[in-house]
Amino acid sequence: MKIYTGGGDQGRTSLFSGERVFKAHARIDAYGDVDELNSVLGALAAALPDQAAEIGTKIAGLQADLMKVGAWLATSPGSPALAQIEALTTADAAALEAAIDQLDADLPPLRSFILPGGHPAAAWAHMARTVCRRAERRVVGLADAAGDPSRQDHFAGLLVYLNRLSDYLFVLARYLNHVTGIPDRMWKK
Amino acid sequence: MNSGLAPSTNGSAEVYAVRLLKRRRLDGGTFEFTLSRPDGFSFRAGQRIRFEHPTGERDYSLVNGPAATELQVCVRIVQDGHFTPRLARAAIHSRFDISGPHGYFIFQPAARPAVFVATGTGIAPFIAMARSGVRGFRLLHGTRTADGLYYQAELRAAAAGYVACLSGAAAAAAAPPDAFAGRVTAYLAAHLAPGAYDFYLCGRSEMIRDVTLLVDRRFPASLVYSEIFF
Repeated sequence: MKIYTGGGDQGRTSLFSGERVFKAHARIDAYGDVDELNSVLGALAAALPDQAAEIGTKIAGLQADLMKVGAWLATSPGSPALAQIEALTTADAAALEAAIDQLDADLPPLRSFILPGGHPAAAWAHMARTVCRRAERRVVGLADAAGDPSRQDHFAGLLVYLNRLSDYLFVLARYLNHVTGIPDRMWKK
Repeated sequence: MNSGLAPSTNGSAEVYAVRLLKRRRLDGGTFEFTLSRPDGFSFRAGQRIRFEHPTGERDYSLVNGPAATELQVCVRIVQDGHFTPRLARAAIHSRFDISGPHGYFIFQPAARPAVFVATGTGIAPFIAMARSGVRGFRLLHGTRTADGLYYQAELRAAAAGYVACLSGAAAAAAAPPDAFAGRVTAYLAAHLAPGAYDFYLCGRSEMIRDVTLLVDRRFPASLVYSEIFF
């Protein structure tokens, strides 16, 4: 089965809302970062230790959420195509907060910066966190460029979700090291 | 409408059991299949159902409007294929498992004129759109010969403009008098006035590519929605 059409060979692509834009467009950058984050989460899931196998289900849910994020970013504010997309809600961000609290309850208190690394799954979680922060910065840029407050609202829910997701990934990295018996490596000046 | 069979699940998609109710030949190798519509199965014009078959999944756009009591798909039989020959030979009342609805190829009302472009059985979602009340669109249907102009009368009645684009060497035989001799891209390049349109493309990947690149060159302020038939 062919997965290519060649329609983008001259540097343009179609948004979900139908506009043809250059692949260097800020919106493509944004959902490209979300796509990259989704891929890193896939690597993280593949590296999960047996001690944290249950996290796999959570990761799969996050990957599904990110598909919604990508679709939302690929759709222009005000487009009728938005009606076809399931938007993330405050409940999705609240679920992340609950997951953060649950993981954090098992962890020793953090008193200084830590160096990313440790178990391979934890290292992937840190990678995912940093890609998530980049995606968040791209979305901040899109919201800022939108100008009109009503158009900025288009991105408000995404910003909350991505901010919370990167927090979750930080705590997850620590949790994965914790359950595999690898201590946090503190930053020493 | 009720198949009398309960839905099951396959991964995240709900799977429904349906029965083959009717088979109608559209041309030498293409049929319209009518299936029972399960209770609770809702869809929008332009969406697809997926046959969940042991040989793999096969997606087909529904040609019904959402209010229809049955499900209909338009299928070209691939003689050396794994699934379509079985579908073509299946006894009436045979059971098939489907999931859906799938896809986002749905008409978006807009001020810009809509141009529908189909090749072959890619006409299917546009029939569903016409049957769901979409009007005022311009439609190009590309086929090799006039035999492939399925649902022509119905589409002519709904469209503001209907153009049969016949690309086969023997296309003139039984062709509509207003048919265009050539591919849909040639028609668009020669006859569609410059402007901003909403293009809806459904067909093989080569057509999608060629029309999309043409839109970028000639109609750059347009929107493009596409659905590829693999």
